[in-house]
Amino acid sequence: MSATTILRHSRGLCQFAKLAQATPSVRSFHGQPALWSSFRSSQPVQPIEQYPEIEVVQNPPEWKYVERLLPPKTVPKPLAKNEYPSGWQPQKADGTELGYFVARTKNHMVPVYLNTTFRGQRRLTVVRRIQGDIWALERDLRSVVEQARNGKLCATRVNELSGQIYIHGDYVDVLREHLKAKGF
Amino acid sequence: MFKNILTRSRQLINPVARNLSLTTKQSNVAAESEAASTAPAPLAAPLILVQNYTEYPPVNRNANRQAWIENTDTVAERKVGLIELHPDVFAAQPRVDIIQENVEWQRKYRYVSMAHAKTRAEVRGGGRKPWPQKGQGRARHGSIRSPLFKGGGVIHGPRSPTTHFYMLPFYKRVLGLTSTLSVKLAQDDLHIIESTDIPTTEPQFIKDLIDERQWGPSVLIVDKADIFPENICYATDELGFVNLMPTFGLNVYSMLKHDTLVLTVDAVKHLEQRLLYQLHRNDAISKGDKFKLDQV
Repeated sequence: MSATTILRHSRGLCQFAKLAQATPSVRSFHGQPALWSSFRSSQPVQPIEQYPEIEVVQNPPEWKYVERLLPPKTVPKPLAKNEYPSGWQPQKADGTELGYFVARTKNHMVPVYLNTTFRGQRRLTVVRRIQGDIWALERDLRSVVEQARNGKLCATRVNELSGQIYIHGDYVDVLREHLKAKGF
Repeated sequence: MFKNILTRSRQLINPVARNLSLTTKQSNVAAESEAASTAPAPLAAPLILVQNYTEYPPVNRNANRQAWIENTDTVAERKVGLIELHPDVFAAQPRVDIIQENVEWQRKYRYVSMAHAKTRAEVRGGGRKPWPQKGQGRARHGSIRSPLFKGGGVIHGPRSPTTHFYMLPFYKRVLGLTSTLSVKLAQDDLHIIESTDIPTTEPQFIKDLIDERQWGPSVLIVDKADIFPENICYATDELGFVNLMPTFGLNVYSMLKHDTLVLTVDAVKHLEQRLLYQLHRNDAISKGDKFKLDQV
């Protein structure tokens, strides 16, 4: 049995050979790479006869199906529901009674982050986008973290100018849940 | 001169035409924002531009800012209307650290250091061994242009041209603009004018106007369109302390360089729309990529 017959008996390979026949060359959007590009590196415009016939249609009815697939330009507003399966909840408080306010990010998330430095040896929890009385919020968050540490003291740093609080250690989940419970 | 008289007479004959078009345009804006104004406002009605918060609800808890719209057709100040400014653009947290980073970036990215020092290979001469290796009781040397010698080459000296180009992260540039606009407004250095139409081409008119309204020694006038009316171009051409700029050229350095920032209503609307889009855009991650010089 020669090699060609083996090939013919293998179904998958036959299909592959058909596919390769159907698409003779690899299709790409750019004829030339964009690296070191200049206006000379683009293919010059060909005579109009070289291009396929097209029909220009204004506002075709099918366009709404294309629009449905296009991503929105800006982050859409979340749909109002009673409960969300992910545990996410919309912001409820506006900070009038507490004196401070933690704004959501543009993706409607609570801005609590973990900064790791020194090869993961130092973990800092950062609360960002704070407006209003940042020192009251710092006292509040520190008591929450100290409760989570079974009463041990916790080191914090407040940057009032940029509205950020840095807390030593990984307390992202604790603080995020706390802020969500407060309505932020 | 003749043109001057013509424009003046046109204004005398038909002073309401410009106002009319403005008020109708204004009513369009208002109708878009809120369905409050139905009929076109009467001629003398003030421009009340209400902010539309449906598209971009304010993240900032600061109260929204309101600013007077001033006229430019006379030297004497007259309040033409009132504009509500979006707090995320005009009442943002004044991040002076980000403003400083923007200024430093704008100074540096265009700076090319021309300081240059020659290495031992580039200094003239020095090919011959100054004295034999052994027998003189002197230190061994191979070249009089060695860096040990007076008049020799320099090790690790400055080499020209050295560029200091870098790109500030995109959102630091956006925050720089919002911070500086907020700072300018808070310091009463931001004025909003109806349009950039002035009645004459005389620089004295602009000088008097600036004196009368106590605008700073230097004034930056920003409009949405990049082609300004002829009169203001002639009037400010000879004045080094008054500059015109389209909104797409607005930058932190120029705003701080000039004492007073003067925006037209169109410019305010355009800036708000562009900056709020950048603060809410869905594909913001694509702006965090490495800056490529050859991006097409």
